[in-house]
Amino acid sequence: MTVDFIFEGLNQLFPSFAGNDIFLILAMLLPFAGLFGFITIYGFGVIYSELKVSSFIQDKIGPMGQGPGLHAGKWGLLQPVADGLKLFFKEDIIPASADKPLFILAPFLIFIGAFISIIAVPFGEKIIVADMNIGIFYVLGIGSLAVIAVILAGWSSNNKWALYGGMRSAAQIISYEIPAGISLVVVIMLTSSLSMQEIISYQAGGLFNWVIFDNPFMPIAFVIYFISALAETNRTPFDLPESESELVAGFVTEYSGARYALFFLSEYANMFVVSAVAATAFLGGWQSPFSDFLNTPIWSMFWMISKTFFLIFVMIWIRWTVPRLRVDQLMHVCWKVFIPIGLFNIFGVAIWTVLRG
Amino acid sequence: MGLVHGEEMVLNIGPQHPATHGVLRLQVRTDGEVVSQITPYMGYLHRCFEKHCENVTYEQVIPYTDRCDYLSSMSMNFGYVVAMERLMDIKVNERVEHIRVVMAELQRIASHLLCTGVFGLDLGAFTPFLWALRDRERILDLFEFTCGARLLYNYMWVGGLSHDIPVGFVESTFEFLDYFEPKIDELENILAHNKILVERSADIGVMPKDIAISYGVTGPNLRASGVKWDLRKNDSYSIYDRFEFDIPIGEGKKGTVGDCWDRFYVRILEMRESVKIIRQALASMPKDGDVHQSLPKKIRPPKGSVYARTETPRGDLGYYIESDGSPIPYRLKMRSPAFTALSVMDEIAAGWLLSDVLAILGSLDIVLGEIDR
Amino acid sequence: MSQEKEKLIAELVNKGLDGDMDSVNACEDRVTRSKVKAMIMKIKKGSLDRPQMPVSLSDTPNESDDTGKTDDKTTEDISQKIKNMLLDNFPDETDETGQDGHMYVRPDKWLDIATWLKSESSLLFDSLQCQMGIDVGEDILESRYNLHSMVHDHYLEVRIRVARSNAKIPSVEQVWRIADWFERETYDMLGIEYVGHRDLRRILLPDDWEGWPLRKDYKEQETYHGIVVPKMKEGWD
Repeated sequence: MTVDFIFEGLNQLFPSFAGNDIFLILAMLLPFAGLFGFITIYGFGVIYSELKVSSFIQDKIGPMGQGPGLHAGKWGLLQPVADGLKLFFKEDIIPASADKPLFILAPFLIFIGAFISIIAVPFGEKIIVADMNIGIFYVLGIGSLAVIAVILAGWSSNNKWALYGGMRSAAQIISYEIPAGISLVVVIMLTSSLSMQEIISYQAGGLFNWVIFDNPFMPIAFVIYFISALAETNRTPFDLPESESELVAGFVTEYSGARYALFFLSEYANMFVVSAVAATAFLGGWQSPFSDFLNTPIWSMFWMISKTFFLIFVMIWIRWTVPRLRVDQLMHVCWKVFIPIGLFNIFGVAIWTVLRG
Repeated sequence: MGLVHGEEMVLNIGPQHPATHGVLRLQVRTDGEVVSQITPYMGYLHRCFEKHCENVTYEQVIPYTDRCDYLSSMSMNFGYVVAMERLMDIKVNERVEHIRVVMAELQRIASHLLCTGVFGLDLGAFTPFLWALRDRERILDLFEFTCGARLLYNYMWVGGLSHDIPVGFVESTFEFLDYFEPKIDELENILAHNKILVERSADIGVMPKDIAISYGVTGPNLRASGVKWDLRKNDSYSIYDRFEFDIPIGEGKKGTVGDCWDRFYVRILEMRESVKIIRQALASMPKDGDVHQSLPKKIRPPKGSVYARTETPRGDLGYYIESDGSPIPYRLKMRSPAFTALSVMDEIAAGWLLSDVLAILGSLDIVLGEIDR
Repeated sequence: MSQEKEKLIAELVNKGLDGDMDSVNACEDRVTRSKVKAMIMKIKKGSLDRPQMPVSLSDTPNESDDTGKTDDKTTEDISQKIKNMLLDNFPDETDETGQDGHMYVRPDKWLDIATWLKSESSLLFDSLQCQMGIDVGEDILESRYNLHSMVHDHYLEVRIRVARSNAKIPSVEQVWRIADWFERETYDMLGIEYVGHRDLRRILLPDDWEGWPLRKDYKEQETYHGIVVPKMKEGWD
C-alpha cells in the first residue's frame, strides 16, 4: 500500500519522469528508511523506559547524568545514546575457535528477522509498509527466524554456555510458537482473515468491539498469547537462554561491541513486534477506543503506539518482579497447560461462532 | 529426566561466573541439563590466614579475621575475641557485652539480607536483591557511624571495643528497626510466597538431618533441616542467655524439610528474631561503662589451647587457638561454617538440573573469603 | 530422612542397577526419585558403593534439645568418663593422660575408636566440629579432633600424635563426612597423610605446591611457575 502510494505520489510530483524505475526503488527504500529510523528511536525510547521503570520498581533513581545539561541533567534522557555509543566503540572480539562466518552472520540474521516483521505492522488505515493478505501468518513465520539465528550464535561461539543457551532458546521458541499460533487462530476464526488490516477493521466501533471483549474465550487466548510472546522474546520469567546467573550470558556470551548491541536491539524490536501483534489481534489495533472519536490517521498512530507501549510496559513490569522458571517447568507450562487450553479455546470459539451465526 | 543418556559433558562453573558468589570453581558433569557430579575446587582466594596468624601478635589477628568473611566481619571479630577472652580469662563489662550483641545482630541482619537477596538473584529475580541492598546500606551506615568503616571494622578488641558507640547511635538504631520491620514483610511477600520461587526452590536440594550433621553443616542451613541448634541458646556465649528469642527451624511449609525454600525462609525468620534481640539489648544497655576498661596492657595468654565457637550468620564459627605463652599465636585454626556448608554440595545437589544446582549453591550462603581463608 | 525412606532408596537403587528402571520411575516422590537416580549415576561411576542393605549408620538426633546445657558436667568429667570407657573397650590405645579436657589416642586403631565414639549410645559423638593439625615441635605432628554430640550435648577433644617421619593417621572421613575436607586441609597444610582417605588431594593450595606451609620448618619455594615468591620483608614483626 505505502509503496504504491509513494510511487504514485512521486509520479504526480514529477510528471516528466513518470514511471521511472528509480521512483519504484525510491518508493521501496523510503518506507524502509522510515522504519529504520522508527526502530532506532523506538530502541532508545524503550531502553530508556526499561531503565526508568526498573529504577522505579527497585526504589532507585536510574539514569540522571546524561542528557540536556549533561551532568546536571535530571532525567538522563541521553543514557541509551551513551550506552549505544559505548557498545559501538568497543572492541569487536571474535573468539579464535569460533566458526567465523556463522558467528558474524548470527546477529544480522536475528536483527533482520525482527526488523522485517515490522513491515506488516499497521499504524493506521493507510500507514503500513506492506498490507499482505497473510500478514499475521507472515509475522509468525518471520518470527521463527530468530531460532536459527540463536542456534547459530550458540553453536558458532564454541562455548559451552553459549551452546546451552542456544539449545534452550531453540527448544523454548519452537515450543512457544504453538500456543502463540493457536491463540491467534482463534482470532482468525473470528475475523475470517489473515490480513492485519482486516482484523483491525473487524474491531471498528469502540472498546467493546475489540476482539478481546468479543466472547468469553478471547481473554484466555489473549493471556496465552501474551505469555507465549514473553517466552518467544526471551524475557523474564522465560529468559533461560541468557539467564545470567546460570549461563553467564547464554548465547551472547562471546559477543561484544556492535554485535552484542544488535542482539540487544533485536530483543527490543521483537518485543515491539509481539506487542504490536497482540494489540492488533486483540486490542483493536489503531482503532480508537471511543468509536469514531479521535480516529484520524495521526490519532490512529497514537493509539497503535500507546497500546503497544502499554504491553511493553507490562513486559518490563513482569521482568523486574518475578524470578525465572526452570527449563522443565517452562516446557511443562507450554505443553501441558497452554496447548490444551488453547485447543479447548478453538473448540469453544468454533461453537460460539456457529451458534451466533 | 528421562532414561535417555547422552554423552556427558564436563562444565566448569567458575572461577569467574556470576552465580558462584566469588571465585569458586565447580566442576560439574552434565548429561544434558542434569548434573550427575559436582566437584568444588577452591583456594582461589587463599590468603594464608593461618600462616599469617603465626607471624603477627594476637591483636594484629583481628583485622585478618575481618577479611575472612567480609560480609559479616563483626561476627568474625566477635568469635575471635570470645575465644581470646576465654583463653585469657577476661571478663568484660556489661556495656561492652551489650554493644557487641547489638553489633553482631545488626551484622546478622545485614548478612541475611544479602543472602536472601542474592538467592533471589540466583533464581532470576533482580528487584528483591536491590531492595535488600537498600536496607543493608542503612546498617552499614550505622556501622560507619560507629567505627568509621563500612565493611571491615576491626571493631571488637580483646577485652573491649575500639570505640564506644557515638551519641545518637541508640536512637538511630531504633529508628532503623522501626523502618526495617515492615521491609522484612515486603521482602517476604515478593520472594517467599512467589509461586515461581516456590516452584524453583521447594523440594529442591533436600538436606536431611543426618546428612547435615555428618557434614558438619551448621547455622541456618542446619536449622532449615529441622534441627533446633543455635549456639546463642545451646552454648550461650556473651550475654545471649538474657534475651528472649526463638530459634526458627525449617518446617517444610512448601515442600520437604531441609529444601532450598526452607533454608531461604529460615533466614527471613531469623532477621525478625535479630530485631527482637537488638531491641532488648538496646533497652537494657547500661548508660555508662568504659569500653576500654578490661583491655589488657599486653596480650600474652597463658600456655594452653582453647576451642571457642560462636554463631555467625553462616553457622558455627570456631577458633582453635594454641598458645605457647608468647605474644604471637603458636597455631590458630579457623573452623569456618561456609567451608563445611560447601562440602555438602555434591551430596545434595547431584542429580538435579543445572539451574537447581545454582539455586542450591545460593541457598547454602557461602562466602569464599571464609572458605579459602 | 526416615528409615523407611532410606530403605526405599536402597531398594530402588538396587532395582535400578539391575535394569528395572521402571520401578524407579514409578516412585511418586520426586525427591526420592532424583536421589535414587543421582545415586545410581554415582555408583555407575564408581564413586559410591552399591548399598547392600539399608544400613542405618548414623543415629539421627532427637527432635530437639533446645535447653540442653552442660550445667554441672564439665568437659573434664566427660573426658575422664570416656577415657575409662575407652580403656575398657580398647585397652592400650590411649596414650598418657591429657590435661584440660582432651585425651590422647594412638593412631593405629583410631578408625575403630572413632566409629565406636559415634555409635556408642551413651556417647553418640555425631558431629565433628573441628579438625586441625599442628606442628608441636620435636618432630611430632598432632591431629586434633573436636567432637561434639548433638544428642547429649557434650564435647571431647581427641589428639593423635605422630612422628613427622611417619605421619600416617587412619582417615575418619567415612565416619564423619566433613572429615573429608578437614583432613584434606590438614594434609594440605601439614602433610599428615590420612590413610584410607578416598580423595586425598590438596584443597586450598595448588596441586603442584611444594612443602607443607604450616610446619614450623617450612621454607618457601624460590619460584613458583617462574614467579619469584616474595620473602618476608624486614621489620614486619
